[in-house]
Amino acid sequence: MLSEGFSLFYQYADSISLLMLSAVGLMIIFGMMGVINMAHGELMLVGAYTTSVVFYAGLPLFVAIPAGASAAAAFGIVLERLIIRRFYGQLLSSLVVTWGLSLLLAQGFLIIIGPSIRSLPTPFGSFSVGGFSYSYYRVFMFVIALAVTLAIWALLRFTKYGVEARATMENPAMAHALGVNTDRIYMVTFGLGAALAGLAGSLFALEAPIEPTFGRNYTPIAFITVVVGGSSDIVAGLIASALSLSAVRAIFTTQFNILIGYVAMLVSAFVLIRFIPNGLSEFLETVLNRLRRS
Amino acid sequence: MLNWFSSVVRLINGEQEIGRSRGFWICAFAVAVGLIVLPRFVSAYALLNYSYIISMVFLALGLCLIWGFAGILSLGQAAFLGLAGYAYGVVGINLSQSGTTYLALIAGLMVPTLFAAVLSYVMFYARVKGVYVAIMMLVVTLLFETFLNQTAGPQWHIGVASLGGNNGLGRFSGAIHEPPSITLGLGSRLIEFSGQSVAFYYLEVGLLIAIYLCLRALVNSRFGLILAAIREDGARVESFGYDVRAIQLVVFCLGAALAALSGILYVSWGNFITPSVFGVTNNILPVIWVAVGGRKSLTATVISTVVLTWLSQRFAIQGEYAFVVMGALLVVVMMLRPEGLITSFGGRKTSASPPLSPGSSHDGR
Repeated sequence: MLSEGFSLFYQYADSISLLMLSAVGLMIIFGMMGVINMAHGELMLVGAYTTSVVFYAGLPLFVAIPAGASAAAAFGIVLERLIIRRFYGQLLSSLVVTWGLSLLLAQGFLIIIGPSIRSLPTPFGSFSVGGFSYSYYRVFMFVIALAVTLAIWALLRFTKYGVEARATMENPAMAHALGVNTDRIYMVTFGLGAALAGLAGSLFALEAPIEPTFGRNYTPIAFITVVVGGSSDIVAGLIASALSLSAVRAIFTTQFNILIGYVAMLVSAFVLIRFIPNGLSEFLETVLNRLRRS
Repeated sequence: MLNWFSSVVRLINGEQEIGRSRGFWICAFAVAVGLIVLPRFVSAYALLNYSYIISMVFLALGLCLIWGFAGILSLGQAAFLGLAGYAYGVVGINLSQSGTTYLALIAGLMVPTLFAAVLSYVMFYARVKGVYVAIMMLVVTLLFETFLNQTAGPQWHIGVASLGGNNGLGRFSGAIHEPPSITLGLGSRLIEFSGQSVAFYYLEVGLLIAIYLCLRALVNSRFGLILAAIREDGARVESFGYDVRAIQLVVFCLGAALAALSGILYVSWGNFITPSVFGVTNNILPVIWVAVGGRKSLTATVISTVVLTWLSQRFAIQGEYAFVVMGALLVVVMMLRPEGLITSFGGRKTSASPPLSPGSSHDGR
């Protein structure tokens, strides 16, 4: 009984960290700039690939993982300056242009890097509870996911960048008029989102094979996490969305199998969008406001 | 009679579509004649490729209708194509001894269209719009891909058709049965439109001309004008008393039916279908064809789909650069000519509204 409970909890935490990490970069870019970055998966691939190269150059993982995030950030900033900055405020156009980028980059990487990239070993080993074995690395990823979310919250709440970024998100014209360099805020925000995509790619690369379509394994869940979360509050949306979708996934995975768990999560995302089209974060805000008033 | 004819002509030649001059129609007639005499001058292999190219035009026209005319971007049109292919294939395999494929055709058209009706009821009646519709459609199509990829094994079958996992329906899965080509006729007089045949090519050309003219008439009809109005400002159309949700549902189903036609033709052409038709690539290509040509024009969509698919086939011979070129083309066109290459050079001066006004562009949030 205890071991079953732990198994369910472990599944739940594992799914939460997967959703949070894969979506956090996308969420920041969508929430702050209204751009759904369809090339998110390719930014993850940049992170994963860089981590692999740096690791096999002989450097330890705690250097290789930040290197992956930095490379993705640099790559993201280049894309932002060259292309994406022309599409702010144009939701559908930015969606289409980043999708074109995604196709271009995925195939470009396939041609340049080739179909196989050296996979990385999973660190930390495993532990067992009640006869089942669990990976310490998954626990580590869960801790990182929470730490990243907390860091984003603190960044937006307490720093000058955070205030300016939130002002730009609320009303770009007014923020600009009040002396905020909105262009720079957009660039930094996109770079931050790209860095987090790269970080997720680096972390996932330690337990999955890296291939040119690597990112596409994670983008669907990243999209639904973002869309279910909504764009009115990044941190609240991310947490609420990851918690609810993971609950569905963990329950269905333990009751049936992994595929049904995955399908159930996507279907529940569809149902949530049907009833809460503006996302969980706005829904929670409305509920809280109503509670406060009564 | 003459009165009726001239009103149809006026409808086809209305302002919602480019190419209204006498010169255009002379060119169009020449192209039609060219398409009809083409099989005399090309090899059987080239004709097979052309048949494939034409089969994809309907998918593009469906996306052009819902995105360019009604303002609904879907990133998952291949869901309808694939669903049609599987429905047609499964019914066709099960009824292969009956000779004709009428029931398979009906299944292939109805299953995706009804599915689209359910989806659009869920989405449009909940006022889901913009990027959310686009992403939801992508999730739907990837869901189909994931599901069908794991249907390997004997327990996954519908009647005598085994779904075959990632090998799909047809000879690649080692199945005895493969999806039939379209076969029409009465009693013993049957015509089989197999993929290599000239008959199949002519069937497609006929469908293309008929559907192109019908869609031109549709976008210039009252319904088409309401679609354009919804694209520009849905709330205003609603305040005039139109049920925007119902109109979106109808046009979304039409788009799905056109994608379904492509799916049926595709399966009939190659006698196989795999779950990869639901994949990301097959969803992004129609977006590229429509966006590069000009999403607000059926004519531009037909031209760019034919040209780009033909170019992709050329590049595929050279190496793996086709998708790089297609992706780059989309990015460049979106940056320099966001209204599309053909429509911006063709010059449509009737619509004076800016391409993406701030009001309409924020409707996804």
